[in-house]
Amino acid sequence: VIISPKYVEDVSKILRFANQHLIPVVPFGAGTSVEGHVCALEGGISLDMKQFQNIMLPGEENNNEEDDQVMMPDPIARVGAGVTRKTLNKALRHTGLQFVVDPGADATLGGMTATGASGTTAVRYGTMRENLLEVECVLADGTLVKTGTRALKSSAGFDLLGLLCGSEGTLGVITSVTVKLHPIPDYVVAAVCVFDSLADAANTVATLKLCEIPVVRCELLDSTSVAAFNAMIANEKTSNGGAKETKQMEVKPTVFFEFQASSEESLQEQVRLTESITKDFSGSNFQFTSGEEERKALWAARHNLYYASINLRKGATDAVLTDACIPLSKFAQVIDATVRDVEELGVIGPCFGHAGDGNFHCILPIMEDDPEDYIARVHQVNDNLIQRTLRAGGTCTGEHGIGYGKIKYLEQQYGPGAVKMMEAIKKSLDPNGIMNPGKVVNYHR
Amino acid sequence: MKVLVGVKRVVDYAVKVQVQKGAVNLKNVKMSLNPFCEIAVEEAVRLKEAKAAEEVVALSIGPKQATETLRTALAMGCDRAIHVSTDLRTDYMELQPYAIAKIIQKIVDQEQSDLVLLGKQGIDSDCGQTGPMLAGFLGWPQVTFAANLNVEGNGITVERETDSGTETIKIPSLPAVVTCDLRLNEPRYATLPNIMKAKKKKVDTIKAEDLGVDLTTHNEVVEVFEPPPRKEGIMVESVDDLVSKLKSAGVVA
Repeated sequence: VIISPKYVEDVSKILRFANQHLIPVVPFGAGTSVEGHVCALEGGISLDMKQFQNIMLPGEENNNEEDDQVMMPDPIARVGAGVTRKTLNKALRHTGLQFVVDPGADATLGGMTATGASGTTAVRYGTMRENLLEVECVLADGTLVKTGTRALKSSAGFDLLGLLCGSEGTLGVITSVTVKLHPIPDYVVAAVCVFDSLADAANTVATLKLCEIPVVRCELLDSTSVAAFNAMIANEKTSNGGAKETKQMEVKPTVFFEFQASSEESLQEQVRLTESITKDFSGSNFQFTSGEEERKALWAARHNLYYASINLRKGATDAVLTDACIPLSKFAQVIDATVRDVEELGVIGPCFGHAGDGNFHCILPIMEDDPEDYIARVHQVNDNLIQRTLRAGGTCTGEHGIGYGKIKYLEQQYGPGAVKMMEAIKKSLDPNGIMNPGKVVNYHR
Repeated sequence: MKVLVGVKRVVDYAVKVQVQKGAVNLKNVKMSLNPFCEIAVEEAVRLKEAKAAEEVVALSIGPKQATETLRTALAMGCDRAIHVSTDLRTDYMELQPYAIAKIIQKIVDQEQSDLVLLGKQGIDSDCGQTGPMLAGFLGWPQVTFAANLNVEGNGITVERETDSGTETIKIPSLPAVVTCDLRLNEPRYATLPNIMKAKKKKVDTIKAEDLGVDLTTHNEVVEVFEPPPRKEGIMVESVDDLVSKLKSAGVVA
């Protein structure tokens, strides 16, 4: 059953009913999650939050109609859980402010909170957690909860925001969130640099951060990814009769940067410093540009990565996307080993990463008629890289979440104590186990 | 050239309006800059940046809050603004395109504008009449639904979108009225520094009654109602079931 409530009181009624009759409830935002979050493993209710569309912009709550001398509004917005991030940014477009967390997909703010989403801007602005101020949710027994504060920091009681952020619908239904906003930048520059090795690229990024260069996006493509892009544009050339202008790239590890600043001088300084750091680590062919169209062209390989990767296997329409996050000092080593593993197992899987966070993904295209053996090897790549990640002190998921596929890694990653603590919290907040059963923790009534 | 841009304060496009007492309820409803006017502002600012226009003036007709809409236009790059103040509803209920065009004509005469850029229609009234009426009153050439605009010598060449394709119209010399359509451009987002600067730009207020324009409505709104609620659907079990239901509803033979 799909239910689309409009008011928080309705969500409360629905949960109380479901709790009483032991019916599973799976909250649903935009459905863009990738670890099986919205799979109703035990049937039940899909709670579609799409009617929660309220947007309260900066300054709107204390609307002072008479006075022209109002205080600068706090750069925050309170939105219903069903509002997508692009809808929010469209509503913000004349305020000079933006919501910066960018996971790629047009996810809902409620869903992004539930999955602890992040994306390419995390290196500068943090993940969803760092941009959350308040959350309103409903617990399994219908209790309405308001937590967090509009103040910029707080020490008041347990960090319930942290608990709910990333809880993947297993502890309650998020109905609205208050998020931080940031200024829309005046000046933006995109840059690209090629390196001889992943290690050089990783060291460059680590140094950049130590020099406090506030890079906004920092994406790394391995050689296979670059080759995939070259293959894709070569195909387009032949089908267009050579119409496309896109140049082939050097098949080497490549880093894509984005810088933002409020002044051109500050921006030029960031670019100059970055270029000099890249030179310390064998960086070559450093290019940068500021025009919007030129920036898109410079980042083409990164923007088209998913499709270029799928194109590496003719007929592939889907891919297994891995997700792991490693301390930066071990980042290059884990990716290198994964690249070798992919080759040894005889599958296709370009790697790319949010280098500033040590978070990398391997895109493994698959086809409907792939033999079981191929699929098994693809999953082996994932299992192996997670093992490598955990040995390096990393986490089995940097941004995609646990869902139900990664529950098995939690004890290995944390040890039994933390898992026991998570299960105890789940039991106490959802004793009947109706909230998205089968996800994040193994708990049944 | 001196450009005059019309900006209308309308119900935000995302709002689900409700009818109360025979009119759309505007109380506590989110209002914003009409999307087509936003495109007109963007085009005007681009003309200024290309040094084709020497000054861009934004104009809005409406209540006190219309100045907020004007501030957005100023933040996007207009030089100054004119607010024609009136508490009459501008969504066709009280002030209609005929009177609005007459008001704009007065401002054009006052400002000696060379080019008037308007949105093709307001998303509240959906009339699309103000631009053509204004051109008629001024005796100026007009191009509606502009999807592309180029300055050529003393005039402009405009491509307009029609249902049967793109039409190219050349106006050898200004002045002219152009109404803007979706594909003309992608409006910029205002940055905070520009929003700050906009607070210091000049906004002149004139009362609508002081313009010597007859503001009475020429058309009477007889009824305003919401579309009937969507009827509940039926779930069917099979294709055969679907076909038989379509047949009994007379939708297919």
